[in-house]
Amino acid sequence: MAAPDRDETLRATLVRGLSRRRTSLGVTVGPSAIWIVLLLVAPLAFMTAVSFASIDSVTFDIVWEPTVNNYYNLVAGGTSEYSLGPLVYKATAFEKAVLLSYAIATVATVLCLVFAFPLAYVLARLDDRMFKIVIYLVLLPFFTMYLVRAYSWRLMFGQSGVLNQVLGAVGVGPVGAFEFGILAIIVGLTHAYFPYMLITLYASLDGLDFSLIEAARDLGASRVDIVKDHIIPLTLPGIVGGCLFVFVPSVGAFITPQILGQGKVQMIGILIEQRAIGEATNAATASAASMAVVVSIVVAMFLVFRYVNLDELGGV
Amino acid sequence: MATERGGSTEPAEQTSQEYTDRLFSHQRIESLLGNGLYAFAALMLVFLWLPLLIIVFLSFAQSPNLLPFEGFTLGNYQGITGEPGLRSSVVASFSIATLSAIIATVLGVLSSFALTRYQFPLREVYRTFGIIPMIVPGVILGVGLRFYFLTVGIDPSFFATVLTHSLYGLPFVLLIVSARLYTFDESLEEAARDLGADPLTTFRDITFPVIAPAIGAGFLFAWVRSFEDYIRALFVSGVTTDPLTQWMFGKITKASAENLNVLNVVSTLIVLAIAIALAVAMNYGNVTGYVAGTGDEEE
Repeated sequence: MAAPDRDETLRATLVRGLSRRRTSLGVTVGPSAIWIVLLLVAPLAFMTAVSFASIDSVTFDIVWEPTVNNYYNLVAGGTSEYSLGPLVYKATAFEKAVLLSYAIATVATVLCLVFAFPLAYVLARLDDRMFKIVIYLVLLPFFTMYLVRAYSWRLMFGQSGVLNQVLGAVGVGPVGAFEFGILAIIVGLTHAYFPYMLITLYASLDGLDFSLIEAARDLGASRVDIVKDHIIPLTLPGIVGGCLFVFVPSVGAFITPQILGQGKVQMIGILIEQRAIGEATNAATASAASMAVVVSIVVAMFLVFRYVNLDELGGV
Repeated sequence: MATERGGSTEPAEQTSQEYTDRLFSHQRIESLLGNGLYAFAALMLVFLWLPLLIIVFLSFAQSPNLLPFEGFTLGNYQGITGEPGLRSSVVASFSIATLSAIIATVLGVLSSFALTRYQFPLREVYRTFGIIPMIVPGVILGVGLRFYFLTVGIDPSFFATVLTHSLYGLPFVLLIVSARLYTFDESLEEAARDLGADPLTTFRDITFPVIAPAIGAGFLFAWVRSFEDYIRALFVSGVTTDPLTQWMFGKITKASAENLNVLNVVSTLIVLAIAIALAVAMNYGNVTGYVAGTGDEEE
């Protein structure tokens, strides 16, 4: 009868241990803290260090001599000329990728907001039965593999994509805009992150007191006034949070520009990938580019979190 | 629901003809706006669904072109059984997702308790860093972990991918479970303790049953995120491990008619599997609440 006895003592020890605050704190905080330090803080610190080092061009080893060359090269390295309509400007590949990523992400975010808001509003006003059906139709794409959704637009766009096939069938020749490129990427990103925006907006519209709106209407406010004066201010945390959930992953997107840009559009995610494992491998450059993007996102988030609390954003 | 009907402010007496005219035209505009809202919402559902429906449709088509349409076939479905590498990459993705979601769930549940029950130094920092893995762009997390792993001697591998995804899954568990714990009535636990239950028994009989749905939801989120991840795994999985996403990506970049047929079938099966899983989950628990964080009152 030794085994049960040992079980009992083990249990007693456990119980005694867990009753002590210090032990229970260690047990609950400890494991994740170790994980976060070893797998998040250390890699980011290492990447920061590498971004200030340089790479031996022969052995590919890291040379630990502090330098800011990697950052300097990002903004002042080999520039080439790009034209945007009549404008011609000089920029490095990094500068161009950052500008392009931020521009594309901004457009995708605005589109998501404009497209998702009416649907989220309708969703918050539907009765239970219809709500279940519509939310199912929204959540299914949300849970569907990101890659499948990017691939679905790969079928739609392109010289011989579904869009051009349909246009061809009605006699309008292949339209250049429906080839792979920036438009395809914007549509792909909007589609990819639309559910994030929708669900965040819905969460904040759902908490809205609609009797306020009815009161405003009874007092003669127009629909536009109500949206402007009541709905938008009351759902601002949701709007800001939703924009964040679309904007940040759009800036760093890789799959969508890779599949829907077909190599023609170099967003920052692709640039980093190429420096990390692709054609132009250089760990120091990749690290510096990554850190620059991280810093820009942290600054953006810092500004945003002055207005919204992370807890209000839910489990998305 | 006065807003939707627009004109619930019917006057008790309609003495002035002018007033009635104004009211009716106002009503018409209101109803147009209201219908427009619903039409726009419906259009957005079409936007979400159209590309997916086209994949499903094309998976039954003889050629991966919509036009000219060449007739239906089930041949594509028979074709994928002999696809080299598909089975092993599905197995790899399942194993990685399951292992990493288990780790993420254990870590996430423990730290949720820490965050909701205890005060300790750097608590806010701890919480922020617990959420960061979800926010850092995948390319950057992947690149950072790749350089780091190579330096500390972990080669890109199955193991490295599990570690990466366990970190990536942590925030999803943490957010969902801690939200549940915040609303948990701790007097239930105190009552159990007063009646003589030790902490382990209290946890098993009181706390766990209450937070179990949240733990399950957190696990599922972490699992799905791992399963669908391409970019993080790209940097840390190495050549020996080939998750499903990488297998598919290879087919997408080499887009021959055969590859497209295979991809359409695999994508359709994925959509189908998720449709079934989601229907079951929504029938069983408050999925919307976990996704949107809209309270637990519907449970």
